[in-house]
Amino acid sequence: MFKDLDPILHSQLRLAVMSLLISVKEAEFTFLKEQTNATAGNLSVQIQKLKEAGYIDVIKQFKDNYPQTICKITASGITAFEVYVKNLQSYLSVNK
Amino acid sequence: MGTEEKQLSERESLELITMMINKAKNAYYETGVSAIMWGSVIAVCALERLAELQFGYRLPFDIYLLTFVAIIPQVYISIKESKERKVKSYDEVYMDYVWLAFGICIFLMIFIVNVTFNAWEPMAEEYQKLTGHPPQYRFQEFIHPLFLLLYGLPTFITGAACKFKPMLWGGIFCWVCCIVALFTPIKIDLLLTAASAVMAWLIPGIVIEKEYRQYKKEQATINV
Repeated sequence: MFKDLDPILHSQLRLAVMSLLISVKEAEFTFLKEQTNATAGNLSVQIQKLKEAGYIDVIKQFKDNYPQTICKITASGITAFEVYVKNLQSYLSVNK
Repeated sequence: MGTEEKQLSERESLELITMMINKAKNAYYETGVSAIMWGSVIAVCALERLAELQFGYRLPFDIYLLTFVAIIPQVYISIKESKERKVKSYDEVYMDYVWLAFGICIFLMIFIVNVTFNAWEPMAEEYQKLTGHPPQYRFQEFIHPLFLLLYGLPTFITGAACKFKPMLWGGIFCWVCCIVALFTPIKIDLLLTAASAVMAWLIPGIVIEKEYRQYKKEQATINV
């Protein structure tokens, strides 16, 4: 029996952000923006959704008098990502 | 990726995950400046000490004090590099700890060697007084293999973990020199130390720096 794919992760930009964050300890907002080619506004909205779901931590601070936003994946974010990938794989193996 | 909430097929999702993980993997770049600096400093110190022994002169200060002076630019480089980084990888964090532990071990080793030498020296003098000839075992002969042993450790780990062959071979080269230096006189030990510094740090540092410059050039082309 198939489990539904996590709707929080099953969207292009949020999944891209989570895939980037799963591979690193932490990343700046500007890095995520560069890698995903998303607009700052759209990325902010999606990051907020991931934060509300408890999948990422967002740290806002100042670096050389400029605001800096750092994102890092949480333990529940890692679990959700792993479950999502597992479910994806089970879908794909049946559709083969 | 400008469209909001775009739904993906299962295959697209998996492709996107793979692509982003690869992007994150390739996002981390070392500048190589630290490796070049430490490779040069250690090589210069060893070769200068060798010149002192070979030509029978002494500088008014211990050349190895240069390694303490080099900590100042190292701190500056580390702060500058960490400010420029937009992403912190797990590899980078572990490697930072490995090199920090190496730095601590080197200073502990210097301390141990000095304490041991101070205890050994009066015994050697007394032995010479009693027997009329110096002891066969000279403490100084065994200092360089100990340091070469340490040099190889973080270099090998970094080379293996980052899949960077010049450093992997550099680390192995240090250990080979460590064994050879056990059986060679001090002058050869110094030569082996300089060669190890060049092989383990200077050459890999130059390779990294070249790759970093190439990466910067590519980034500049993309951003135009």
